[in-house]
Amino acid sequence: MLEIKNLKVVIGDTEILRGLSLSVNAGEVHAIMGPNGSGKSTLALVIAGHTDYKVSGGTVRYKGQNLLDLEPEERAREGIFLGFQYPVEIPGVNNAYLLKAAVNAKRKYQGLDEIDAFEFLKLAKEKMALLDMDTKFLNRGVNEGFSGGEKKRNEILQMAMLEPSLAILDETDSGLDIDALRAVAKGINALRSPDRAIILVTHYQRLLDYITPDYVHVLSEGRIVRSGDESLALQLEEKGYDWIREAASA
Amino acid sequence: MNAATPSPDALRAAIAGLPTTHHEDWKYTDLSFITDIGNQWLDQGASVRSVGELPDAAKKIQKKIDADWLIIGNGVVDDESLAAIDQPGIAVTRIDPANDEQAIDSPLADLNTALLPDRLLIHVSVDAKQARPIGLLIVDNADSATSMSAARVKIELDAGSHTSIIEFHTSSGDEDHYANSIVSVKLGDHSSIDYVRIQDRDRRHCQTGHLAVSMGRDSRFDHCVFDLGGHLIRNDVHIDIAKPGASASFNGIYLAGNAQHIDNHTRVDHRVGPADSRQEYRGILSGNARCVWNGKAVVHVGADGTDAEQANHNLLLSEKAEINAKPELEIYAEDVKCSHGTTIGQLDEAALFYLQTRGLSRQQAKEILTRAFAQAIVSKSPIASMREALAEMISTKLTDIVEGAPE
Amino acid sequence: MATESENIENFVNRRYEHGFVTDIPTDTFPPGLDEDVVRAISARKNEPEFMLKWRLRAYRQWLEMTEPTWAHVHYEPIDFNSISYYAAPKSDADKPQSLDEIDPKLLETYEKLGIPLHERARLAGVAVDAVFDSVSVATTFKEKLSEVGVIFCPFSEAVRDHPELVKKYLGSVVPQRDNFYAALNSAVFSDGSFVYIPKGVRCPMELSTYFRINAANTGQFERTLIIADEGSYVSYLEGCTAPMRDENQLHAAVVELVALKDAQIKYSTVQNWYPGDENGVGGIFNFVTKRGDCRGANSKISWTQVETGSAITWKYPSCILRGDNSVGEFYSVAVTNNYQQADTGTKMIHIGRNTSSTIVSKGISAGHAQNAYRGMVRVMPQAHGARNHTQCDSLLIGKNCGAHTFPYMEIKNPSARIEHEATTSKISADQLFYCRQRGISEEDAVNMIVNGFCKEVFKELPMEFAVEAQALLNVSLEGAIG
Repeated sequence: MLEIKNLKVVIGDTEILRGLSLSVNAGEVHAIMGPNGSGKSTLALVIAGHTDYKVSGGTVRYKGQNLLDLEPEERAREGIFLGFQYPVEIPGVNNAYLLKAAVNAKRKYQGLDEIDAFEFLKLAKEKMALLDMDTKFLNRGVNEGFSGGEKKRNEILQMAMLEPSLAILDETDSGLDIDALRAVAKGINALRSPDRAIILVTHYQRLLDYITPDYVHVLSEGRIVRSGDESLALQLEEKGYDWIREAASA
Repeated sequence: MNAATPSPDALRAAIAGLPTTHHEDWKYTDLSFITDIGNQWLDQGASVRSVGELPDAAKKIQKKIDADWLIIGNGVVDDESLAAIDQPGIAVTRIDPANDEQAIDSPLADLNTALLPDRLLIHVSVDAKQARPIGLLIVDNADSATSMSAARVKIELDAGSHTSIIEFHTSSGDEDHYANSIVSVKLGDHSSIDYVRIQDRDRRHCQTGHLAVSMGRDSRFDHCVFDLGGHLIRNDVHIDIAKPGASASFNGIYLAGNAQHIDNHTRVDHRVGPADSRQEYRGILSGNARCVWNGKAVVHVGADGTDAEQANHNLLLSEKAEINAKPELEIYAEDVKCSHGTTIGQLDEAALFYLQTRGLSRQQAKEILTRAFAQAIVSKSPIASMREALAEMISTKLTDIVEGAPE
Repeated sequence: MATESENIENFVNRRYEHGFVTDIPTDTFPPGLDEDVVRAISARKNEPEFMLKWRLRAYRQWLEMTEPTWAHVHYEPIDFNSISYYAAPKSDADKPQSLDEIDPKLLETYEKLGIPLHERARLAGVAVDAVFDSVSVATTFKEKLSEVGVIFCPFSEAVRDHPELVKKYLGSVVPQRDNFYAALNSAVFSDGSFVYIPKGVRCPMELSTYFRINAANTGQFERTLIIADEGSYVSYLEGCTAPMRDENQLHAAVVELVALKDAQIKYSTVQNWYPGDENGVGGIFNFVTKRGDCRGANSKISWTQVETGSAITWKYPSCILRGDNSVGEFYSVAVTNNYQQADTGTKMIHIGRNTSSTIVSKGISAGHAQNAYRGMVRVMPQAHGARNHTQCDSLLIGKNCGAHTFPYMEIKNPSARIEHEATTSKISADQLFYCRQRGISEEDAVNMIVNGFCKEVFKELPMEFAVEAQALLNVSLEGAIG
């Protein structure tokens, strides 16, 4: 589904990604780990189409087409979802309103009719039950006054409502306590499907206790330097990132 | 050395050109008294007398605040104290008016020129080393006759240099007096200045002051003003940010008691970004004091990356006190962050009660909280070595104006 | 009359929706202003002597006044002698007794404007006093209102039928000499609304009025007077539209509100006057004086406005908080795009004891527009215990517009508690990207964020206006992004 070849990305004058290659197929869960500053979030933002980052080399193909040609909202409507590391607040904009607009934007793109209010509410309640979320979330402003955990769960709710083909979750576990982590993980697991690819960007291994990845990649200094299965994550936990760095420079 | 006597024609012309209360910027502050003082002074020959012995207030300041003090008495620079200034890398000299252009274009600057002040230049080079700040002790005496005086200082900082300057205004004498001061500061790239001004004139005397600052690339301007005395005081501060990376912090406090009128007008022009300006002024008013605070921030087209904040907080302690506050924002660029907040109110009842439950009388509680309100600005004042002296001066003034302030 | 296809084209190009002209013969004065014109206006309306005298006094005062120039707006000087001061549709001869008697062409006009007098008004229970080209054409629901003693009629009718009320209150909130445009209005006002709510009555329905300027060079000089007697309540809606023209048109209205003891007046406006085209040509000049007098104790006056139109807006709906415990509120969204200019805000004058005022102003500036908030909070020496909270936020969209804030606080009483906060920023890139990543286009995202920005004001509007307001906001910001 996603084919990244030798991707180079700069922000301002600084090169962050230095020839990153990655291949993700439908049905797979990939974990991307790495020390701070390695470029994990950059990768996520670049796939989503954030304009601060400039692609200076390499290719990204999504479902066979050149992803880099598409605007952020086009990528979203093509089924790419980014769960933000720091979800922004949008005061005065109702959570339900944003969700409905997003759902309808995608439907319109697909040539479908817009979802009506009744259907939408039904769908929302279903998904919220799945995620153990209180329905009063719907009426609050987007992330307005949400705690860190609530913000992350709101991201997962949006993912559930938008049913993406490729979901990239950027440090979804950061700032969460055990209960919130469990709830978020449960939600993500519930959304695994053979048609869907999930990329988990994470710094720590503990999320992977709850979500078993098919592949684990280590990102260091702008490149993927090592790939393996879930056991790689455990090795990292034990030995730390320096082990990777040493191995990479060896 | 005595100052030259101003030309009556030039003086009258300058006074005639002063703004009236019909001008928006002078709406609340009436300068017509300058005409009266000017006429009286001219009738008496407009001579400039030397200050003579320094009044006690001035001597106290010299002792209390550690600085190399340069005395300017009735507009005349004292040669002895000028010669005594010996700070490596800092040249303090007189400027010959013939070789000097008027940096500020305004009627009050024109008036300053007509008053023929001694013009001072403080030039700071990159290798300047100060053991203590330079202090400008501006002393005016109106014992024997109504008079006017003027001070004119130019401060220029070379790239990469730093300096600390204190300016202290004091006056004495039973006759009327008007002082006009013009200070310009030119900050070279990567230079910085810590600049504190204290005005504690006789409660019958008046002053207008204009400070113009131009900021170089990555320069820093750290300024704090304390207005404690005077009958009618008007301060204009103009900061011009034309190079990126500049950072301006300018704060002040005005303590006004009966019959005092203190007007602070500030303006910062953000012409390029990124740059930031932070401003906080606080006022405590009692008796029938009348104060004005007008802070204007103009963000010009293209000044993206500007971050400007203004705050003004006022305590009114009496029935007849009056405050006119107007924070203004004029914004023509898009990628900016600007905000201002103004409050006018009283001491927090909850805090007062808390102190009372700890055994303090209501009056004591009021004094403590009022001092704390003022202390917020003292803490922001650069030149840490003088903060204690400042706190003391404010305390004395507060006792004077808070006493007898009704519930 | 514009054809259907022209209208569709307008819609597709998403230009000013209400830009069309009704081709009805009008009885219009030639341009120019002198005492004879004033007399003629009064005569046309069959006014009693006192009204003519009042007008003439105002006219003579106006001659001695000069146009104010302190606002942060620039425009070509207005030639007051090139404006016609009266235009009325010919079918005004006999006042129609019911909607059936009204010229069908006019009714068609109202339908296009979205105010069909037939069913929608009846179903919604809204009484509509539709002012068309300076003369009120129909007033429905008079009977229902008269059951409870509410008077809601054209101003011209009130002058004849309720002269004692008019004499008592007219000019008591906005005196003739108050300002240049108020004086002009006092001399040449053509019509407007008159509302009187008797003691203790809660007006059973929202009252509304729609305005429209038709003939070119006809200034609109509406005059509205609303009196809420002790213990009464009324909610009044004002929504305006105007057709597309190339010449600037002057709109200098005066609105006076009087709230007596324990009374409340809620005055809402959605203003959509023609703003000029993308190049700043044409557009209405909206110079309005609106003021409310909280005359009685415990009275309350709220102004809520959404201003998206006009080439130039100059208005400061204000409250005089005279009665003890009286409350003044001002909620405003002002949008300027292309070359629009606005200098608007409010004045809250605290005079009585324990008065309070709330100001929430949201300004949105885009294109090459200039949007200035000018506010005054004045606490007089006798205004013990005054409270004010002001929140003034500006949003900038694009590199060529300006947003300015000029709040004046003149406080002469030590027990006042005044808080003013203002912020100016642009739409955060993070918020935009978040919405786009959810599949929402940039334009829709901006609309969503801007609507969120204005939420606090929109929720003060009566419901049907709130919906119209949101749509208006979106239309007004077209072309602002990208």
